Amino acid sequence: TSGVLVQPQQPGAECPEDSGDYCGLQETNSPFVFLSVALKFTDKHEWVQVEGGVGIVGISNYAQEALGDVVYCGLPEVGQRLEQMDEFGALESVKAASELYSPLTGEVTEINTELAENPGLVNKDCYAKGWIIKMTIEKPEELDGLMDQAAYDKFVTSLE
Amino acid sequence: MSESTMMSQIKRTFSLLNQRACSRSSSSFFTDSDSAGLVLQSHSTDVYQNLALEDWIDANVELQGRGILLLWRNRPAVVIGRHQNPWTECNLPVMRRAGIPLARRRSGGGTVFHDLGNLNLTFFTSKKAYDRQRNLKVVTDTLRRLRPGLDVQATDRFDILLNGRYKISGTASRLSRKSSYHHCTLLHSADRSALSSVLRPSCPGIQSNATPSVPSPVANLLDHAPSLQWEELLGALVQQYNTEFGLHSALTVIDPTNESMFPGVGEMEVELRSWDWTFGKTPKFTMETQLELTNEQPPARCSARLQMEVKNGQIESCHLDVPVEWVPVRLSSELSSVLIGERFCPHQAAAAFSALLRSESGATHTRLHRLCDAMLTVMG
Repeated sequence: TSGVLVQPQQPGAECPEDSGDYCGLQETNSPFVFLSVALKFTDKHEWVQVEGGVGIVGISNYAQEALGDVVYCGLPEVGQRLEQMDEFGALESVKAASELYSPLTGEVTEINTELAENPGLVNKDCYAKGWIIKMTIEKPEELDGLMDQAAYDKFVTSLE
Repeated sequence: MSESTMMSQIKRTFSLLNQRACSRSSSSFFTDSDSAGLVLQSHSTDVYQNLALEDWIDANVELQGRGILLLWRNRPAVVIGRHQNPWTECNLPVMRRAGIPLARRRSGGGTVFHDLGNLNLTFFTSKKAYDRQRNLKVVTDTLRRLRPGLDVQATDRFDILLNGRYKISGTASRLSRKSSYHHCTLLHSADRSALSSVLRPSCPGIQSNATPSVPSPVANLLDHAPSLQWEELLGALVQQYNTEFGLHSALTVIDPTNESMFPGVGEMEVELRSWDWTFGKTPKFTMETQLELTNEQPPARCSARLQMEVKNGQIESCHLDVPVEWVPVRLSSELSSVLIGERFCPHQAAAAFSALLRSESGATHTRLHRLCDAMLTVMG
């Protein structure tokens, strides 16, 4: 997982240089705090990462392994509005064709055009270069309904 | 058991199986092993009705802990995979003349020709129980049992080869929200000359990243096992399916257009028939080709270059490079621009050209006409 370890600040203390958005963390009680770039997961094995108010979406390692080598990615149009659970695209692998389901409600802001020439990125680098779409987050509360890494890991174990 | 008793039992089973919206506890309804599986045969030979039935079962039937085998066949049709390009996979003008429809299925894989001599088998299971090799084993075990010594083997591409060479079965599958299906063809007595005449490209010069088919030489089972009747094959497959999966399901014939048994199936059929699904779902592609233009009075010949970009089956851009001695630039550029936004379809293009053609006369009209015809020819 990606994240940043930050030492707590004394309430009222001056923020150290370069702390930028970290300042809010000085209120917390925990000795170390992870900054929120952690992934959230759906039970359809998609992950969402929030970055600057935008959700980046991809599929998990469990999903890419189960799918096998991806040979084609069918992606939505930029500007397409998605409700949570809507089908927004499809992946075809040597194993089967499978639909992609939107983890959140929002609008597609960007699609990973690299996947047209290189659909295998979804297998090789599913959490980074193999990202699939970016979307706005119309209902941030939907994120609370998704699993964090620990819950997702437990979920995957229960499937096997 | 009478036909109507069997039908009402099936209907009841389907409505009980249609438990998608309910919680897990609903599966406690089924402790009887008979309900752990169903073997169905579609009464219809319409490719869209049968594909719609597959969609319906996939979307509506609870498949945790149970499986369904669906047997079906179609009147002549070409079926392309979910992400394929029909213009590269099949010969649309030949199909149009022969009245052979095109369907796009929801599973992946390549292009196949269906006719009444081809049997389709769909194995519906939960995602957990998805096992293509096991399903194909049902087919190969059946064939070996019926005709011992018949050399049939499933490959790691999930084809079934006869004598190590001829493809008698191809596979495709779909993984959806809660379930999966694996379907395969089985060539019993298909029309092989029709097959090879339609499984050729319509258009030259297409570049795309659509999933390509892998062409293979094919054979019919009947040619290698001449006494193997259709009914015998079906009966043996059902028996083997039951054996393999520990079931006792009798084959039941169903009508896939029965809305009371399959509510909403009609709508699924409509979607599958639509241009937007069949052609509009084609991945973006470019077409680049040379047009040979010839004329009689006075004799002339030249080459023109045509380049188009097609997205969602519609022409996004079109560039036509025609020597000025054929037609003036204003005409060739107008010909290009009337196509923008039109479907990549010779009928639509012809309609778009007609106004422009009407506005010209004499020799210019003739040469313009030749140019339009050449363009229509390369659009399938």
